[in-house]
Amino acid sequence: MENNFEPKIVAFVCNWCTYAGADLTGTSRIKYATNVRIIRFPCTGRIDYNLLLKAFAQGADGVIVSGCHPNDCHYTSGNFHARRRWIVFKQMMEYMGIDMRRVKFSWVSAAEGAKWADIVNTTVNEIRELGPSQEYLEMSRQGVA
Amino acid sequence: MQALHQKAKELLESGKVQVIIGYGDGSGDRVRPVFISKAESASDLIWDDRCRQNLAVYLNKPEIKKLGVPAIVATPVVVKTIIQLISENQLKSSNIVVLVVDNDVVSELTDNASLEAYSAGHPVVFPPFVVKEIKDIAEMSIQQRNKYWQDELSRCFKCYACRAACPLCYCERCLTDNNQPQWVCVASHAQGNFEWHINRAMHLAGRCVECGSCTIACPVGIPIGLLTIEASRIVKQEFGQEPGLHCDADSAMSSFKVEDTETFIK
Amino acid sequence: MSRIGVFICHCGENISATVDCEKVAKTLASMPGVAHSVDYKYMCSDPGQSLIRSAIKEKKLTGVVVAACSPRMHEPTFRKACAEARLNPFLCEMANLREHCSWVHAKGDATTDKAIDLVSMLVEKVKRNKPLFPIKVPVTKTALVIGGGIAGIQAALDIANAGQKVVLVEREPSIGGHMSQLSETFPTLDCSQCILTPRMVEVAQNPNITLYTYAEVESLSGFIGNFTARIRKKAKSVDEKLCTGCGECATACPIKKIPSEFNTGLGMRGAIYVPFPQAVPNKPVIDRSRCTYFKSGKCKFCASKCPAQAIRFDQQDEIIEIPIGSVVVTTGFNIKETSFFPEYGYGKYKDVVTGLQFERLLSASGPTLGEVKRPSDGTVPKKIVFVACTGSRDPAKGIEYCSKICCMYTAKHAMLYKHKVHDGDAYVFYMDIRAAGKGYDEFFRRAIEEDHVNYIRGRISRIYERNGKLIVRGADTLLGAQQVEIEADMVVLATAAVANDGAESLAQKLHVSYDAHHFFAEAHPKLRPVETNTAGIFLAGACQSPKDIPETVSQASAAASKVIGLFSNAELTREPIIAVVNRTAPPLFSTCVGCFMCQSACPYHAIEQEEIKTREGKLIKMVAKVNPGLCQGCGTCVAFCRSKSIDLQGYSNEQVYAEVMELLS
Ligand SMILES: Cc1cc2nc3c(=O)[nH]c(=O)nc-3n(C[C@H](O)[C@H](O)[C@H](O)COP(=O)(O)OP(=O)(O)OC[C@H]3O[C@@H](n4cnc5c(N)ncnc54)[C@H](O)[C@@H]3O)c2cc1C
Ligand code: SF4
Ligand code: SF4
Ligand code: SF4
Ligand code: FES
Repeated sequence: MENNFEPKIVAFVCNWCTYAGADLTGTSRIKYATNVRIIRFPCTGRIDYNLLLKAFAQGADGVIVSGCHPNDCHYTSGNFHARRRWIVFKQMMEYMGIDMRRVKFSWVSAAEGAKWADIVNTTVNEIRELGPSQEYLEMSRQGVA
Repeated sequence: MQALHQKAKELLESGKVQVIIGYGDGSGDRVRPVFISKAESASDLIWDDRCRQNLAVYLNKPEIKKLGVPAIVATPVVVKTIIQLISENQLKSSNIVVLVVDNDVVSELTDNASLEAYSAGHPVVFPPFVVKEIKDIAEMSIQQRNKYWQDELSRCFKCYACRAACPLCYCERCLTDNNQPQWVCVASHAQGNFEWHINRAMHLAGRCVECGSCTIACPVGIPIGLLTIEASRIVKQEFGQEPGLHCDADSAMSSFKVEDTETFIK
Repeated sequence: MSRIGVFICHCGENISATVDCEKVAKTLASMPGVAHSVDYKYMCSDPGQSLIRSAIKEKKLTGVVVAACSPRMHEPTFRKACAEARLNPFLCEMANLREHCSWVHAKGDATTDKAIDLVSMLVEKVKRNKPLFPIKVPVTKTALVIGGGIAGIQAALDIANAGQKVVLVEREPSIGGHMSQLSETFPTLDCSQCILTPRMVEVAQNPNITLYTYAEVESLSGFIGNFTARIRKKAKSVDEKLCTGCGECATACPIKKIPSEFNTGLGMRGAIYVPFPQAVPNKPVIDRSRCTYFKSGKCKFCASKCPAQAIRFDQQDEIIEIPIGSVVVTTGFNIKETSFFPEYGYGKYKDVVTGLQFERLLSASGPTLGEVKRPSDGTVPKKIVFVACTGSRDPAKGIEYCSKICCMYTAKHAMLYKHKVHDGDAYVFYMDIRAAGKGYDEFFRRAIEEDHVNYIRGRISRIYERNGKLIVRGADTLLGAQQVEIEADMVVLATAAVANDGAESLAQKLHVSYDAHHFFAEAHPKLRPVETNTAGIFLAGACQSPKDIPETVSQASAAASKVIGLFSNAELTREPIIAVVNRTAPPLFSTCVGCFMCQSACPYHAIEQEEIKTREGKLIKMVAKVNPGLCQGCGTCVAFCRSKSIDLQGYSNEQVYAEVMELLS
């Protein structure tokens, strides 16, 4: 079946690893889907889960969160704190009935340009399969009504 | 009860405390919180099975703080709450007298160690109906849970009674009152309510002492305590940390272990 | 109302080949708040930059977005250009149209649309940027070096020779560390004392170095450039100013049978002692736990013999406070004792010794004056088994890592033994030979090829005694795990190098991280190997991981150059990307409720507790406060704060929120 749906995807990434990794994807001229928009943060520790909620409320179909591998965080432990936060947030969202397959968490180092392209492409394909984000949008639509 | 009255009287007369937070006669068959600052009123204090409300919520209210050093008649969950508040730098055991009653013997828990020992020896158990609710939700599919919470939360009109009742919601400016930026939509529509309740749960993750005050306070009967109970359950399951046990514990959500594990980060 | 300038770069054709730059510039021009929007071939070129500068002036821009390559590449360039036009550099942001867009997508509408999104997002961000100013912190130009081994000695001398003040704190009565105990050193076999002693003397004589031996750091407070160190000078019971180091006291001391630490228990010392003849300072201390006077109140033989009347039984520990600008930690390592190894007799066989003990037996200044003799009976051993990797690389012993120095010193030991006992037999059990280093492989080959040391690949399983011999059992894995049994006169265990005693508590005092084995952790394993994650505190030598002398010395010089660099300015300038806790009008003073979650979250211990008091000094509340000297701007605290009372400059809540909202609008 043909699937023309172009998902909107926001990526929250840290400056030191994933942002640099995505730079390397560029310098290596590896192509990936255009659906993703990267927002730069100093560290995954800075990424507030509320931003994910807002992204979905604004109509994002998927979100990528990515930073340095464990032990590689530029600030030594921002990503360890972030990991704890995501462990709880993910389960809490699922408890409240939100499909967390729309959020992709990953560690992408500054050397993993190819991995970044792969993450984006896989995410785009998976979200395309899932279709447009519904449950969250419905909530925000009710808000407008 | 005799022993409690006697103790309360002594504490007030000696000037060691200025107010006793406890339970007294309420309307009908109910008990209500009382704040006793005169020794002659000490006999107003009640202690029986009906005394369940988490009185620790009053410890951080400015009106109560103004009265002076408090003593508090504490159920096990109050002791837990106090330990949690100490670990969050909101209280010091030296500035409060904690009274626990066991078989009409009143003891004073005066330091961190005695609070911790008491808390460890008095685990909080959920009433059967809460156990059932937890089980029911656990068995739902994610779509069913979505519907369940959407239905329940649709009644929320953001009165914030849950927030006022929770002894651990002591922020002077709640996230919801923050409009630069507006993290939580003001309106009590589906999105606004969802944002409020997931934030409340995240903020209480690893901190909620499971007293149930929030659920009791909710005027439209949303079992919102289940959300914070779940958040704390996740924390315990994933990181092995429980609130209300250690006065010098680092908050589970602002600490980490290198060995923390998950399977979803690729 | 914002007046943002947008500058779209073609980057030659790097961007314009797939992105319609003109369309991006046009679309942006109609965005609210955008006062100027142009595209240009090379924004980073001189004409490109002057385009920005003149637009700032002519259009009175309040913010600039340069949409070009990665900000990791040219952000400093464009921020500088803005500053030249008197626009605060932190009002300039970059949208990454090259690495994140044109280079990774094909030409087409989707690519141009993405470019438009990326630029609009940054426009919304920049509208909320605030002018920020670099943070200036004054610097106290005194370095504290903790630990007087070769690492500390080298670092102290380098810093002192650059004209800066150094305080060197050593917990033993003398500086020198492990190197002073070594006989000859690989790979050149020069005598350790001969190369070390002159350096030790230099330390004592350098006017820029204040040396405190028999002293320890009690606490360290403050931050980079502005630390305060509290140092405990343990009572030596000797007035150092009066003492001439004649040594009469040590001769007089009736107690003679205390195992000497310096000689690893193979020699003895008195209760008042100088650890070794070349000690710096060459002045004795009284070991109060062993001294008869301190135990029974009687004796004072030493005092009666001291010609300078320098003995002070009533001396107290002294605590001194010193302002410090920077710290170098050089507390070294230790080795596991033989008692850690049950399979090798729990240390009960006198002739099973550690490598360090063997160094003392080889040393001309050692207990045997350099003759290799068995500790048990003083005879010359005719057959010695050396065991490399004793404990190291053994997860069962909790030591997964390689101790790095043992392969080399074991080869050295076997070689030196053969040089001294020509008819002796030397066997080495090893797992792998790790001899990477200049002249290292050649060195161990010499042991095999010229000195005929027998190398057997395999682990040993047991050592036990039979008829006065030590039976060493093992397997030769190169011969199909064939059992080998050697009747030895002596066994030398190259026991694992481990973190020094007290490393963990020192790390906690200094707020620096340490690894699972209590070695101090470097800020970055590749790019910042001598820094810790606490600004202004550096590391060198074996306290970071086991290492040999050349590596230790190069790290020490590297750490010293970091300190000298730091001290080369009167003030430190730091990027203002730091967290700030809000302050509001009374009665709130701040929305912070003092839960201090942020404090435990901060990787840099940058968050302090501040008391807010009434004019009469009554405490109103405790709130968090970020120390701008320590904060590195990760923003971890910001995401934790429930009441959103702490925010990160440059990545504030309002800024990132606006980015998300704009992107999906
Ligand atoms: C058996 C053996 C043989 C070796 N042979 C060689 C060789 O031939 N060639 C070679 O290159 N390397 C050799 N090495 C390695 C060499 O010893 C080390 O590289 C070197 O000693 C490391 O120096 P350091 O200053 O880092 O540590 P150390 O020498 O351990 O010095 C640390 C100093 O810090 C002091 N200290 C510790 N804690 C504190 C504290 N809290 N406060 C104040 N002071 C403190 C200690 O007392 C000590 O003086 C050998 C090692 C061993 C064990
Ligand atoms: S049960 Fe409700 S009121 Fe009690 S601590 Fe938890 S969240 Fe707060
Ligand atoms: S986390 Fe927020 S409220 Fe808590 S101490 Fe820090 S700044 Fe204050
Ligand atoms: S931004 Fe990072 S370094 Fe700065 S105070 Fe917050 S947690 Fe600490
Ligand atoms: S800097 Fe990349 S995760 Fe912290």
